[in-house]
Amino acid sequence: MSNAQYEVTIGLEVHVQLSTKSKIWCSCAVKTMAQVNSTVCPVCLAMPGSLPVLNRAVVEKAVLASLALNFQLNYQSFFDRKNYFYPDLPKGYQITQFFTPIAEKGFLELELEEGEKKKISLERLQIEEDTGKSQHASTGSLINLNRAGTPLIEIVSAPEIKSAQEAALYFKTLCDTLTFLGVTEGNLQEGNLRCDANVSLAEVGSKKLGTRREIKNLNSFRNVEKAIESEIKLQTEILSQGGKVKQQTLGFDANTLTIKVLREKGESSDYRYFPEPDVLPILLTEDDVSALKKKMVELPSEKRERYKSDFELSQYDASVLTQSKELALYFEEVMSLYKGKAKNAANWIMVELLRFLNEANCSPKNSPISPANLAELLLLIDSKVISGKMAKDVFEKMYDEKKSAKALVDELGLSQITSEEAIGKLIDEVIQKSPQQLSDYRNGKDRLFGFFVGQVMKLSQGKANPDLVNKILKEKL
Amino acid sequence: MSTLKRSLLEAHALLKEKKISVQELTREAFSVAKLNEHNAYISLFEDLALAEAQKTDDLIARDGVKGPLMGIPYSLKDIFLTENLRTTAASKSLLNFISPYDGFVAKTLKEEGALLVGKNNLDEFAMGSTNENSAFGAVLNPLDKKTVAGGSSGGSAAAVAEGSSYFSIGSDTGGSIRLPANFCGLTSYKPTYGAVSRFGQIAFSSGLDQASPIARDVSDLHAVAQALLKKDPKDNTSIALPGGGLSSLEGASLKGKKIGIVKDYEGKVSPVVEEALKKAKEAAQKGGAEIVEVELPHAKYAVSVYYLMAPSEASGNLARYDGVHYGYRCQDAENIEELYKMSRANSFGPEVKKRIMLGTFALSVGYFDAFYQKAAKVRRLIQRDFQKAFSSCDFIMAPVCQNTAFEVGAKRETLDLYMNDLFTIPVNLAGHSAIAMPTEDFIHGKNKKATGIQLIASQFHDSELFKVSYALERELQGKGSKV
Repeated sequence: MSNAQYEVTIGLEVHVQLSTKSKIWCSCAVKTMAQVNSTVCPVCLAMPGSLPVLNRAVVEKAVLASLALNFQLNYQSFFDRKNYFYPDLPKGYQITQFFTPIAEKGFLELELEEGEKKKISLERLQIEEDTGKSQHASTGSLINLNRAGTPLIEIVSAPEIKSAQEAALYFKTLCDTLTFLGVTEGNLQEGNLRCDANVSLAEVGSKKLGTRREIKNLNSFRNVEKAIESEIKLQTEILSQGGKVKQQTLGFDANTLTIKVLREKGESSDYRYFPEPDVLPILLTEDDVSALKKKMVELPSEKRERYKSDFELSQYDASVLTQSKELALYFEEVMSLYKGKAKNAANWIMVELLRFLNEANCSPKNSPISPANLAELLLLIDSKVISGKMAKDVFEKMYDEKKSAKALVDELGLSQITSEEAIGKLIDEVIQKSPQQLSDYRNGKDRLFGFFVGQVMKLSQGKANPDLVNKILKEKL
Repeated sequence: MSTLKRSLLEAHALLKEKKISVQELTREAFSVAKLNEHNAYISLFEDLALAEAQKTDDLIARDGVKGPLMGIPYSLKDIFLTENLRTTAASKSLLNFISPYDGFVAKTLKEEGALLVGKNNLDEFAMGSTNENSAFGAVLNPLDKKTVAGGSSGGSAAAVAEGSSYFSIGSDTGGSIRLPANFCGLTSYKPTYGAVSRFGQIAFSSGLDQASPIARDVSDLHAVAQALLKKDPKDNTSIALPGGGLSSLEGASLKGKKIGIVKDYEGKVSPVVEEALKKAKEAAQKGGAEIVEVELPHAKYAVSVYYLMAPSEASGNLARYDGVHYGYRCQDAENIEELYKMSRANSFGPEVKKRIMLGTFALSVGYFDAFYQKAAKVRRLIQRDFQKAFSSCDFIMAPVCQNTAFEVGAKRETLDLYMNDLFTIPVNLAGHSAIAMPTEDFIHGKNKKATGIQLIASQFHDSELFKVSYALERELQGKGSKV
């Protein structure tokens, strides 16, 4: 059985919870993790007579996301009802945008390895509401409606993704972009972004796409990759044994890495979409959109380009520094105070700071070493007040004691001795104490130069500037 | 006409002159309501109302009578949510549903100081034209108990007509306030769509539903409407009328007004209704109005359009009554699927089920374009017809119903029954406003059965509609134009 004869086609639908203060239809706070059923009102509970009132902030975030993802905006878009019965959907329908979504035809650029780029077409971006959450136990099912009415955008890609790795990269790039933009908290553990993957296989060269199966609710980059890998393997087996893939909805068990069939597509309900009469159309004006354009921030891909061109950083460094918005902002703040080589700042952040932060599971925003303090440390190194080796000790103390670099250097008396006079005095003392070595050196034992350097450094308790020691020692010897 | 001893405004005047107390008015209302002769109420709140009445009397003694509704006993169609009180929509599915909040209508009238007597009977979820589709039984017409009060706001009409309530707020989705008013000899107002907030009004067809008051005459109706016409941030479709509401009825006149008579409606009504329309036309002319002929060529499709669009929306709006979160729940279900099916099957009445199925069908894959979408297109044609008609007239005068009130319990074909709304539905489909009022022969006692007409104004012209209706009412009553 070989995989090579099939071409894989993947399309992703990603649901993104927007980071608005209140829900999409009412003024309840978006606090999914609050005490069960505490952030609800008659609207969330679909009480008789309750009506949805659209939260403006939702539209703003959806427009920002549309702009960042290169979508064409529909200046007039509508809400529709998707009808189905489920206990965590108290209205019996979900309000979504089916017929005319707020944006269509966008694209997302993926940065593949070796600097190669690939554009994935996006079909639509629609605004909708999240449902509540069901919790099934042996004694029965419980429903928590805190999440009901949390604003979502759904972003649907064209079937242009060609591998599980590419799908994971797409999900990550989308997540990073929207998190940088501030339209979502981007917390995957809390289900802020959830991905459905449509996977189909067709024989290489075939013009028609194969029958697709949809894997529901993947909530991490790893799960996207693993689930699609498993699914490709399954479909390959079916096809290579002469079987036919049936349209099915699937679930993925992240613990066992297995796919299970949730339902046959044929059995799925007819959602009977129709225009939502309770909510007015969204009418955007040129003014609204240009005001929002002013709120656009630099996206991770743009930051990476700038880091490479302005700071002369490598693609790798730029990628690491833009792995989160907080880290990128940390780096940029350091650079705004430290005007030296960006590579120095990048190294300290990537090697030292991240090691400490990761160990403590701490975000750059809460780093015990502030960007200003790191910039100060870098300046102390550049001006040779302390050596690189000393700086590492200082750094550790800065992290533990939350003190500034300068304060610690003073406190510990760590400043390098950079005065030629002082170093000269130290050298004189060493020479005086070592007449034998002096005469041996002068008689051609060059190796003894190291001995003298070592003695001087020892005498200075390591604080003498090594370059100066070398220079003056040569003169004196 | 109402057997109330006096009109709302007369009661208001007596309160102001301290010739009667709120408690007296309230006791009067309950003395009639408790006789329960017409099944007009689903719930009565006597203790609550009397306690409120006492408080209101105290307030009046201290600060005087604030507005025309202060201290006036009224009732609400039982689709308006009232905090801590039962709201049933005349359905078994909400038999014991206690609302956790006040809707816009209840809250506004509470703020005005009006006193809630009780919640009126109706056709289940406001679906019907006779008020026989109620889990609480049919409403009887106070003019003749053998006949229906009309629907779906039959309880509202019966309450005002029997004299237990000075006014009631009903609703009008396809004629549900105008038909009962017409059958019970009362005056009712269907506002421009969006002019009264739907927040806290149980939805039947969201795009057509409109809270609508019913009262004894145009002046009373005007006083009630004025309190309700305001933009509400809790309803996305709520609008403010130009000028912020209604202007005074002072100086209202028919003089120079162009009133359109719909050519397409000719020959479609019974002789007695025809006669009523003729008399109303003559009265308008007598008052100085010019009668012109207008056409609504697509109005004949209005019933078909309505019975596709309204049930479609209803199929979604009523999905929430599923036995999961509140309301009726079947106790013997083995699983969730069964819980849904049995809860809904056991709690909805036959008319509601019929419409849910109709709507579900019209929205199904393969039928959506042929039914729902087609209906939406024809609706736009009807709207265009009105636009054209209103370019050659200021108001349209039309019958409310083909017939006068018919007998309770008579066997009727569904389609015949639906055709009763032929003249009212086009107004809802176009979002216009209308006032239905009794006509001359009834007013002067020549007809025992009520007859009436409706005046229709184009969207947002509610204030002008009130003035011309008031002038016409005076002509019909033989009082002539007020100077």
